Amino acid sequence: MVTRARCVSAGAARDLAGRMSRAAIIGLLAVATVSMPRSASPRFYPDDPLWVDDDRAMPVKAVPIEDTNGFDFVVNTFAQPGERRDVRALNVNTVDEVPDSSWFTNRIGRKAMSVAEIVRGPDRAESVDLAGWKVSGGKTTGVQPGFRMTDPQGQTYQIEIDPPSNPELASGAEIIGTAFYHAIGYHVVDVYLAEIDRESLVIADGATIRDPLNGRRRSMKKYDLDNVFNRAARLENGHYRVLVSRFAPGAPLGNFRYYGKRPDDPNDLVEHEHRRELRGARVFGAWLNHDDSRGVNSLDMLETTNGRTWIKHYMFDFGSILGSGTIFAQRHRSGNEYIFEQKPGWLSMVTLGLYVRPWMTIDYPDVPPSVGRLEADRFDPLTWKPEYPNPAFANMRPDDAFWAARIVSKFSDEAIRSIVEKARYSDRAATDFVTNTIIARRNKVVAAWINQVCPVADVALSADGSLTFTNAAVDAMAATPPERYSLNWFRFDNATDQRTPVGGAMTVSSGSARVPEGLTGDYIGVSVTATHPQQPGWTTPSTFFFRRASGGWSLVGVERGSAKTSES
Amino acid sequence: MHRHVVLCWALVIVAPTVAWSQEPATREEVDRQRREQQAKEVKSYQPGGLERAMNFAENKAIFLLDREGIHPKLGSLTTGSGFAYGVGFRDRDLFSNKGALELWAAGSIKRYWATEARLTFPRLANNHLYLETWASHRDYPQENFFGLGPDSNRDDQSDYAIRTNHFGGRAGVRPFEHLLVGGAMEYLEPKLGAGENDRVPSVPDVFSPFDVPGITSRSDFLRSSGFIEVDYREPLNAKRGGWYRFDFSHYDDHSTNRFTFNRLDADVRQFFGFLAGRRVIAARLFVSTSDTEAGQTMPFFFMPTLGGNDTLRGFKEYRFRAPHAILAQAEYRWEIWSGFDGALFYDAGKVANERSDLNFQDLEKDYGIGFRFNTNSGVVFRVDAAFGSADGKHLYMVVGGIF
Repeated sequence: MVTRARCVSAGAARDLAGRMSRAAIIGLLAVATVSMPRSASPRFYPDDPLWVDDDRAMPVKAVPIEDTNGFDFVVNTFAQPGERRDVRALNVNTVDEVPDSSWFTNRIGRKAMSVAEIVRGPDRAESVDLAGWKVSGGKTTGVQPGFRMTDPQGQTYQIEIDPPSNPELASGAEIIGTAFYHAIGYHVVDVYLAEIDRESLVIADGATIRDPLNGRRRSMKKYDLDNVFNRAARLENGHYRVLVSRFAPGAPLGNFRYYGKRPDDPNDLVEHEHRRELRGARVFGAWLNHDDSRGVNSLDMLETTNGRTWIKHYMFDFGSILGSGTIFAQRHRSGNEYIFEQKPGWLSMVTLGLYVRPWMTIDYPDVPPSVGRLEADRFDPLTWKPEYPNPAFANMRPDDAFWAARIVSKFSDEAIRSIVEKARYSDRAATDFVTNTIIARRNKVVAAWINQVCPVADVALSADGSLTFTNAAVDAMAATPPERYSLNWFRFDNATDQRTPVGGAMTVSSGSARVPEGLTGDYIGVSVTATHPQQPGWTTPSTFFFRRASGGWSLVGVERGSAKTSES
Repeated sequence: MHRHVVLCWALVIVAPTVAWSQEPATREEVDRQRREQQAKEVKSYQPGGLERAMNFAENKAIFLLDREGIHPKLGSLTTGSGFAYGVGFRDRDLFSNKGALELWAAGSIKRYWATEARLTFPRLANNHLYLETWASHRDYPQENFFGLGPDSNRDDQSDYAIRTNHFGGRAGVRPFEHLLVGGAMEYLEPKLGAGENDRVPSVPDVFSPFDVPGITSRSDFLRSSGFIEVDYREPLNAKRGGWYRFDFSHYDDHSTNRFTFNRLDADVRQFFGFLAGRRVIAARLFVSTSDTEAGQTMPFFFMPTLGGNDTLRGFKEYRFRAPHAILAQAEYRWEIWSGFDGALFYDAGKVANERSDLNFQDLEKDYGIGFRFNTNSGVVFRVDAAFGSADGKHLYMVVGGIF
């Protein structure tokens, strides 16, 4: 028994040792594996920077998410949805730009666009002729009177008409806004101006409308059109000027939100409040007074490409930008204060109205009714607000703002005027006023946001070690040149994300410098600041990373301002 | 053991290489792996409780009050009726959307009730012609009465019941956008009775029938009237502009030929907005006067009254009553938040037994503060607290605005 027991004990000991060894091996392997991620995930991959985000890769099965106005207001006003964090936008590529995606396509920000291209916008045709079109249904959303029409090929369009009190107001705003937002890079639908003869309209068989009185869908009747045209501005020739908006292709999936992700979209990797193009939309919104920048004014469409379904995200409904409130001149409050804002409200209540909100004293210019309420003198981009809090806007950082402001700066005076002329205001004074106001607001927007970081841009390093760069703020005439630039060079270890300074601070007075002696390696970088008495933001460094390439150096990374990332 | 130790160290050394080989080599691969991982976690969107509630409220409930067909009828029936609720039916696309039919019946917490049928053609002749006709029954069982004239005594509060059938029609022409001119004919069958408020005596218990003309009347009346209305408020819940109405009515006693009289009402409201329309001074002057031919008397229940939530807010409903009345009201309204205003108000007015006494001397006065939930079209709900009157403090919670 003893022997057997000893044998059993020895066997057990061997088993135990074996088990311990296996555990140790597994443990060590785990430790080794876990300890490696930093070195296993380089900062820059060989294919960086990516300019296309393949967010159509995974097939999507999604159902509509249609927020109501009330829900969107309540949630964003009182619930603070999404994540508020000072973190670099999570969808930018390594050179701090937004790749093309289902959300955004780089246009004027990355390539030169002719004025004609900018003005044409998303439109597939020069114009539309409504002959042969039929009324195919009622309009389901928005306050602007309208209905749907279908062309002989079966394509559906939305028709909207301006109110008698403000002819050309909302249609002009929509035309202008669509062209701007398209050139900026957002996905928008084709919009056209046309004239319609009320008497020639034919209601298609099967046309339906959601009854405005009870919300039920029913057959569309002639008086439904009367209800539309009773609220419409009529032209001298008896016709009506209408806005014709092409329905986006695909199946509607409701709207996107400025926070969170779609739970049913595997391609939606980044919380929307951390998307650069949604954060930066605050800059564009301020510029064009798009106070209606909110989720319910967006559109998700399920498209199919090569048999694979994916979601395309649209911005739409620009009818209440600039001075337009769609069916009336924009409210004084809009752009200046949220619909519900605690402090001014309580102040107003307890002082019995003696507290005067600053925007109440804005003296809006006397302009044609097609313009509405728009001005530039009192406009302050930094304090501009949409109708209610927007989580992406709240997360906007100086680097997001710089990205957007630089895009704004690309719109020339000529381009702006040409876009405004596309609205075909009958009063020349309206065209002039809107043009000049957008230009003035552009200048304010660019000056406010392009200078919050060191605005060095277009950085290139040649094979012989010559560094050249421009100053985006100076180029945009938003600042005078700095007294000097300070450059700090470093060697960069891509595997460990470590920087090793090489040489001391280098000072230059213009946009050229040379790599210091002894700086070699596969990756090098330079951190740049500028000294300017009026631009304190220029002391916030912009950092550029270069990778050795066959022909010299290629720019592989850009970091503006805070280096905080999602890991920090 | 030695073999295992060697194996362990070998794994430690090799592991990174193994791990590296499993790491993506490109950014595209990184993103692809993230999408594949997320694809395993996708799920249908499930709205939360708040979202479902808001969706219901906006897509369904909001249509309840204004819906076609059967709908709830909420609000008040007349000044002092208390909150009323009932059921209605409407059809607003009669005759190719030119006409609207509305039927309803409602009762209040103070046992008032009413029912009405109304057929309206609001936009005939390209919005230049307005027609409507109606039939209704109103049962107001406890209307206040304090006596006639400016010197009525608060301690004489009594009540009466009045049940009236109405049959009428009205036509209006709108020659210009802001002007409406028209006339109306209405047949009224008022029946008076003892008040049903247990806490106050009925009118005959306090007043002699000689002091209350018409208290024993069984007369029916044909009312013919003409009116002019100017409305250029912007918006309807006005921040500027004005609303003026002049209404002349002839009441013809069809039964006893004792209570025939004429009544003229003038109601002028002016609105002065400033600070972007977020501050509004609203002013109102209402004057009502009447006359009778020899041998005729104006029945007390057709006399203008003052007191209550929409006239002299520092006094009880119908506190003052006489053949003539004048009322001046002013409000300073300030926006607190969009859709929520504050208001400071001042009311002054009086009734008069003689037209010559219709002036601004010896007015009854009150003042107060209010808060209003509103839209561009009007006040939805308001709370007014009135002070400074001989009647003490009054608090009103009212569905609807004042002027």
